[in-house]
Order: sequence, then structure tokens, then C-alpha cells
Amino acid sequence: MVSSMDEKVVAVIMVGGPTKGTRFRPLSLNIPKPLFPIAGQPMVHHPISACKRIPNLAQIYLVGFYEEREFALYVSAISNELKVPVRYLREDKPHGSAGGLYHFRNLIMEDDPSHIFLLNCDVCCSFPLPEMLEAHRKYGGIGTLLVIKVSPESASQFGELVADPVTNELLHYTEKPETFVSDRINCGVYVFTPDIFTAIRDVSSQTKDTGKSATLRRVSSVEALQPATRNSTDFVRLDQDILSPLAGKKQLYTYETMDFWEQIKSPGMSLRCSELYLSQFRLTSPQVLASGDGTKSAIVTGDVFIHPSAKVHPTAKIGPNVSISANARVGPGVRLISCIILDDVEIMENAVVTNAIVGWKSSIGRWSRAEGVYNSKLGVTILGDSVAVEDEVVVTSSIVLPNKTLNVSVQDEIIL
Amino acid sequence: MYRLSVDCLPHVLSFLHYVNISFNYSRFRSEISSKERRIKMKALILVGGFGTRLRPLTLSFPKPLVDFANKPMILHQIEALKAVGVDEVVLAINYQPEVMLNFLKDFEAKLEIKITCSQETEPMGTAGPLALARDKLVDGSGEPFFVLNSDVISEYPLKEMIEFHKAHGGEASIMVTKVDEPSKYGVVVMDETTGKVEKFVEKPKLFVGNKINAGIYLLNPSVLDKIELRPTSIEKETFPKIAAAQGLYAMVLPGFWMDIGQPRDYITGLRLYLDSLRKKSPAKLTTGAHIVGNVLVDETAKIGEGCLIGPDVAIGPGCVVESGVRLSRCTVMRGARIKKHACISSSIIGWHSTVGQWARIENMTILGEDVHVCDEIYTNGGVVLPHKEIKSNILKPEIVM
Repeated sequence: MVSSMDEKVVAVIMVGGPTKGTRFRPLSLNIPKPLFPIAGQPMVHHPISACKRIPNLAQIYLVGFYEEREFALYVSAISNELKVPVRYLREDKPHGSAGGLYHFRNLIMEDDPSHIFLLNCDVCCSFPLPEMLEAHRKYGGIGTLLVIKVSPESASQFGELVADPVTNELLHYTEKPETFVSDRINCGVYVFTPDIFTAIRDVSSQTKDTGKSATLRRVSSVEALQPATRNSTDFVRLDQDILSPLAGKKQLYTYETMDFWEQIKSPGMSLRCSELYLSQFRLTSPQVLASGDGTKSAIVTGDVFIHPSAKVHPTAKIGPNVSISANARVGPGVRLISCIILDDVEIMENAVVTNAIVGWKSSIGRWSRAEGVYNSKLGVTILGDSVAVEDEVVVTSSIVLPNKTLNVSVQDEIIL
Repeated sequence: MYRLSVDCLPHVLSFLHYVNISFNYSRFRSEISSKERRIKMKALILVGGFGTRLRPLTLSFPKPLVDFANKPMILHQIEALKAVGVDEVVLAINYQPEVMLNFLKDFEAKLEIKITCSQETEPMGTAGPLALARDKLVDGSGEPFFVLNSDVISEYPLKEMIEFHKAHGGEASIMVTKVDEPSKYGVVVMDETTGKVEKFVEKPKLFVGNKINAGIYLLNPSVLDKIELRPTSIEKETFPKIAAAQGLYAMVLPGFWMDIGQPRDYITGLRLYLDSLRKKSPAKLTTGAHIVGNVLVDETAKIGEGCLIGPDVAIGPGCVVESGVRLSRCTVMRGARIKKHACISSSIIGWHSTVGQWARIENMTILGEDVHVCDEIYTNGGVVLPHKEIKSNILKPEIVM
């Protein structure tokens, strides 16, 4: 048997593109969603550092529709930091989730990898990638999906699947079904052997022959704008065109995770996922988290990340679930609970921020309060960049676009 | 021969500038002898900030470049200035100069007028930008310079304003306009016969007058000596000083005036503008069996059969209005497509958007750039950010992000 020590592995992370990211507004107005900080690190950083744990990782590719220049700085910094080549590849037009992988197959196969990981950037989980790889080797199929059990009510938002409880083979797969199929869902993390490219190619040639897509499709807004791709032969979606047809044919298998899993689709979710990652840091790298008891540094309770360049007054109380980015300044007597404070924010004396995201360079006035309520119509409060909340103003469950000044209290409002 | 250049560096005297001055001056001298004495003047347009009230339109373009009556807002002002002999316009901006630059190059070439930028690195208020742009505004000829506010649309009776200014001989002239609710604004208290300004009262609680500052000024270069290079308010600091010295006069603006910095006023402003166009150059308006009232249609736009367009509609370049469409009191911006049988009123359709068949858009619906409303959808006051698809009805005013 070939030693697994010689086999190289390549990881591909799908990062999406600007027109698809409208749900992440207003935060995505200034920064591509994959670079938005979660638990003190850009969103895409979490799957990338998980990939680092894979033995014999040769290369990481980020694939998306953003302009190259938006990722140039990040990619070179992270390559240096992790000592693994990370490269951003721009898709020129939509190829579908599997088509994109196929489009770059030459680059991906450059290192002659034995296995290819495919991850979605906006997935928040523990990424048990080495364990998935082990399991996949044992199964011997062409692909293994990470799956998780969810509540039956929420399952219909995702890809539902049925797996054989003994062999773990993927028996049935259906995307966002209207009726209940299963409470096991697709996490959006996969490991494939290079045979996957053959499978994708077969699907697209089948489309060529029949002249139409294999299954009935819901059309996304991006696709609607480009009618040419409706019948294009290189538009192949992973779920409907690969997973569904190959289920039950002893080609695809599942690996179930018992840890957390969320999709970071909205800014409110980024706060929730920040909490999950911070609690994971408590287990894997507790030195990253902050601590303090109010004597030399602020009181810290629960899982908190404070960037080394941030200044927090010792009389402030921070946490749980707080993430403070570079150069932020937190004044005396401030209380921060469950929030993300981005770079260069200034929070003045005695202010309170809870269930909120405070955008770059914003300022929170003295005794003012930024508060979100998860279940309300607008959810957590989000302040875009350079928003000024004046003294004693209360902002509740509202979304404020960049460059605004709030001098009266608002509730449940979007401020354009 | 004008030297055309766009200069967006913060405020630095350059050799080129000196060369331009001498060019202007020598041209000025030679022009004195020409039959129609054309005065070379300068103007400053206060462009200022982020245009947040005009979102979602200003998420795609800086406010001065948002189209009004089928051309960028700032072009209305630049054209009015050019018509009275202004040869150089300085834009006082503090946001997105790079985006402005490309457009400005275009305007400069087409209009044969010099356009430069004066960029504020920190907000300078309403008077500070004048001090910042000092070297561009003062060319030694002693001519007064205009200051315009970029949010304002009016008939721009600038020729009359020059005559008014020379007649009273004071240091500064401002345009005022009569409004119904003066306490929302800064009221100018003035002598009704001479126009001499007594004082300014900001948002008065009791009635002191019904004329407000229209945001159009004609100032002698000596005014700049009274403005320090720091964030300053022209209404609170500069004008009161000049008024106390009996040097400030106000002219009541004939014709319409509108601050189109927010969508509701934008739509009202269009009505006033088209009304004025009907009086001054009716040939520019579109006529036809399918047209009602004042309608402006760009020559590159296409309109289908069986439509009823108007009143108070502007349809921009490259737009396609399919058959059976009803449009009233609305603006359709460049590249938008309105599909068959749709009905739109009192709304703004952003650049390159599409409105589906049988869709009904009304009550201050604002579609940002590249928004696509599906067939048969109803939106009542939806405010939609760019690059969205509207697949379900918006039954009451709401913001779609």
C-alpha cells in the first residue's frame, strides 16, 4: 500500500463574489465578505488554518469572483505566515460550484495531489479535515462529505441527505427540499480524489448531448442576469449535478461531525460564529484569548479576543464573546458584551455595546448604548464604517450604513 | 487657447497655474476690445460629503454625478456657469475624488471649461473650502467669483446676479428664495427694497421672514480675507461679519429652487425643472400622442407602442421602455429597461435596472443601480440597494439591502 506520507493534498476554498454577497450588507459594502473578521481573524482564515492541519498540504487555492487586488495583500500575508502557498484564482464567469473546481483543474492537479479538499468559505465549524481524510481513505470512494445532524425544522434550508448507518455511504441527496427527507445535512466541506474531475466532465458532456440541464433548476439572480449560462456546458453545480446523481452508487460517502456548524450568511450570524470560534480557541489555543481582572488590565469574562494594538481601559468590563480589532480604543467604564469591535473604533466612557457589530473607525459616545436583539426584525445592531453615535444615544436593533451620525435614538430602523 | 487639465492634488501652487493665470490675463485683455465684453470669472462648487440622504443612488456614484433630468447633477451648474463666462470651476470635495476625475475629464473636453478639484482632508464646513481654494479663485483680475451648492437646482439667473452685484457695490451677494416653512432652514432677514441683509437666523422659532439662503453666492475676492483656513460656517461666521459692515446684499431668486439632496425633493425638483424647461426651451421636451405634460426623453432611448408617458418624467440615455408602459412623475436612469405593461409613478429607477412585465412601482420607490424587479411584482415605497433582485411584493415602504 502506498504510504500516505508521499501523497500530497490540495485544498480549494470557494469564496464567492460581490453580487452574491448582498445579504452581508452593510458590512460587505466596504470589504469582501470572506475578509470580514470573525473572532479576530478574517472569515476565510479559519478554514485556511484548518487546512494547515492536513498532513502533506501542498497548496491552498481561493476561488471566487472578486477582483484579484482585493485578495492580493491577504494572500501574500497568509502565505508567509502559514508557510503554505495560498493563491487567489478569479473565475471569469459563473461555472457553478463544481464547474469552478473543474475550470481550474490543471492548476489544482499541478502538484499531482492524491486528494483535493473543497470547502466553502462561509461555513463555520471545527473542520475535522485530517479525520475526514482518514475516513475517506478507508471508504475508497471518489468523495466524502462532511455532514451534521440538525433540527428537522431547519433542515430544509440545506442539502438533506441519507447515509447508510453502517457503511456511511451517501444513499440519497436532495437540495433544499420542500418536504422532510432527513435531518442530516451537507456541511459544505468535501474531500475528493482526482476522479471527481472525470465525474464533472461526464456531467457536462451529458448536458452537451441532451442540450439541457440534468435536473430542473432554480435560477439565482446572478444566473438570471447572464442568460447565456442557462444552457452552457461548463455550468455544473456540485449538489444537483454531482451529489444527487452519484448517491447510492458506492462512490460518495459521509463523515459526521458532532461539533458545531453554522453558515455565516448574515452579519448577525458572524457574531454567533465569532462566539463559536472563540470558544474553540479556549480549547485549542487559549493563549490567543484575553484575560484580566481589573487591576492592570480590564476585567475579562468568558471568551474574548483583544488585538495587541487595541487599548482597553482597566475600568472597562469585556465579555463574554467579544472580539476587539486593531487600534480600537475602549474608554473607562465601558461594558462590552457579545460584540465585534472593528479596527480604529473609539468607544467613550461608560458606553455599553451588546449584540452589535461596530464598523471600522466608528465612534460610540459617552453613556450611549448600541444594542441588538437577536430575534427582532433586524436582529443585531450593525454600524457601518465611520458611524458616529453621539453621547447618550441608544441604537437598538438597527442597521446604520457608513458615514452617518446618529444624534437621536433609533430602534428597529435601517439608516441609509 | 485654454490649457485643459484636471488637478486633484490638495491645493498647491504650481508653475502650470501661473502659466494659466498669464494665459487667462492676456486673453482677458484681448477680449476687452471684442464687441461683447466677456468677463472671465471663477466659480467654486461646494460638493462636500457622502450624499447619504440620496442613498441608494449614491452607493453607486458620488452625489454630483447622480443624474438629474438626464444629466449629472453637477453638469447643470457647470453649464450655467459657463454661460455667464466662467472659465474655471473649482470643486470643493472630500470624498471619492478618483471617481470624479474620470467624469471631469469628459466634461472639460466637451464644455471647454477648466475644472479643478480642491480636496478637503478634514471637513471644512461651508466657508473653509473657500479659503482652501483661495489660490484658484483669486487671479488678480479683481472679478468676483461664484459659490454654488451642488445639491441645489434652480434656474440659475447668474447674469442678473452679476448685474445686481455690480449695482449695489457691496462685497457679497447671495440669492435667497421664498419658502412656506422657513423655520426648517436658515432665514435671511433683509430690507425688501434694497436687498441689504440685516442678519441670519438659523431655524427661527418665531416668524422673522420667509426668505432662506438659496446657496448661490457672488463674492468679491476680499471676502476670502475674512475666512480663516479652518472649519468655518459661512452663515454663522462669514456672512454675519460682512452684513454688519453693510456689505451683504440678497437677491430674491426668480423661478424655482429645490434642494434635491433627498429622493422626495428630487422628484419634486424634476417637476419644477421640466416646468421651467417648458417655459424657456420647450423644444427640448418630447411631444407625441403618447406624451402627457412635461416629459424629457433622451434621444438614444426607445419607447414602445401603446405607452402613456408623463407628466414629469425623465428617461435617460439607452433606456428601453417596452410597449404598454405607463410612467408618471418618475426618473428612469441610463440603461434601464421597463418591460411591457408595467406601471411606474413617483419613483426613481436606477441605472441599468429592469422592471418586469406588469410590475407596479409607486410611492417613492427608489431602485439603486442594477436592481431587477420580477414580473408582476408590486412595490410601494421600496428602497432597494444596488444589485438586488425583487422577487416578492413590497407592500409598505421598506429598505431592501
